[in-house]
Amino acid sequence: MDTAMVMSRRNFLRGAAVAAVGLPGFIPTLAVSAQSSGPGFPLPDESVESTIKRLFGHRTFQRGDDKMKLELPLIAEDGGNVAVTVESSLPVSGPAAVSSIYIIADKNRRPLLAKFSFTADSGRAFVSTAVRLATSTDVRAVAEMNDGGLFVVSKHVRVTISGCDLPPQS
Amino acid sequence: MAEIGRVSIRLPSSIVRGDVIRVRTLLIHPQEIVQRDRANNIIPKNYHFVHTMIALYNGKEFMRMELTQGISQNPSFIFPLKVDRPGKLTVSFADTQGKHYEGTAEVKFA
Repeated sequence: MDTAMVMSRRNFLRGAAVAAVGLPGFIPTLAVSAQSSGPGFPLPDESVESTIKRLFGHRTFQRGDDKMKLELPLIAEDGGNVAVTVESSLPVSGPAAVSSIYIIADKNRRPLLAKFSFTADSGRAFVSTAVRLATSTDVRAVAEMNDGGLFVVSKHVRVTISGCDLPPQS
Repeated sequence: MAEIGRVSIRLPSSIVRGDVIRVRTLLIHPQEIVQRDRANNIIPKNYHFVHTMIALYNGKEFMRMELTQGISQNPSFIFPLKVDRPGKLTVSFADTQGKHYEGTAEVKFA
């Protein structure tokens, strides 16, 4: 009974939040923005191993070089703006479809840079953006399939000027 | 940066029914990065960056991005959309200050 009441109250709040924003995707933000640790508070540094463990557990990776293409410059003069393109021939609908693509920079303070989730309406699994790299590093693109399979491609980038260093604040 | 929050969307000039088009979007946003003090400790504060992007076609979500400070200033993205019928494309960004930025574009067939 108690649980049911809590649930219904939660659902009510959730409904109110949706009504206020109009888009269901932003509820987590609303839920935490009032707390002292807002959504923009920095998370502790993380090694790439723990990032991968946190995201994928102990699942095994398959090399995806024949299914995915990761385009990055060999040398990035400005680590603050490095163009990344992930192209994949994997389908986005059907039994073995790509659900998400992750971009991970091994030596960044927080290696996970972005997660892109696709649906059948995407038509294709493809994304291109610009990222920040702290230093010369391997960059991985991981495609997560809706059956749990994981494909990874990686590429090394040499970074001339870090994209993450600011002069220290006194 | 008086124009923080401006969203631009660019679509291919000619679109045929059934195409998978490449949508290009740009948001003007500082995408603030973590600062450190002289002892190399992270300064804790609510950094101002975009953490979610949602793309809808005719009101139906087809693409979602979870973003971090690892994305460059003025985040720009190219992503696919399969167009079987004309309609309205909406791209919506949410940042850590609770602000939302939205851009729309009409998809018409040539």
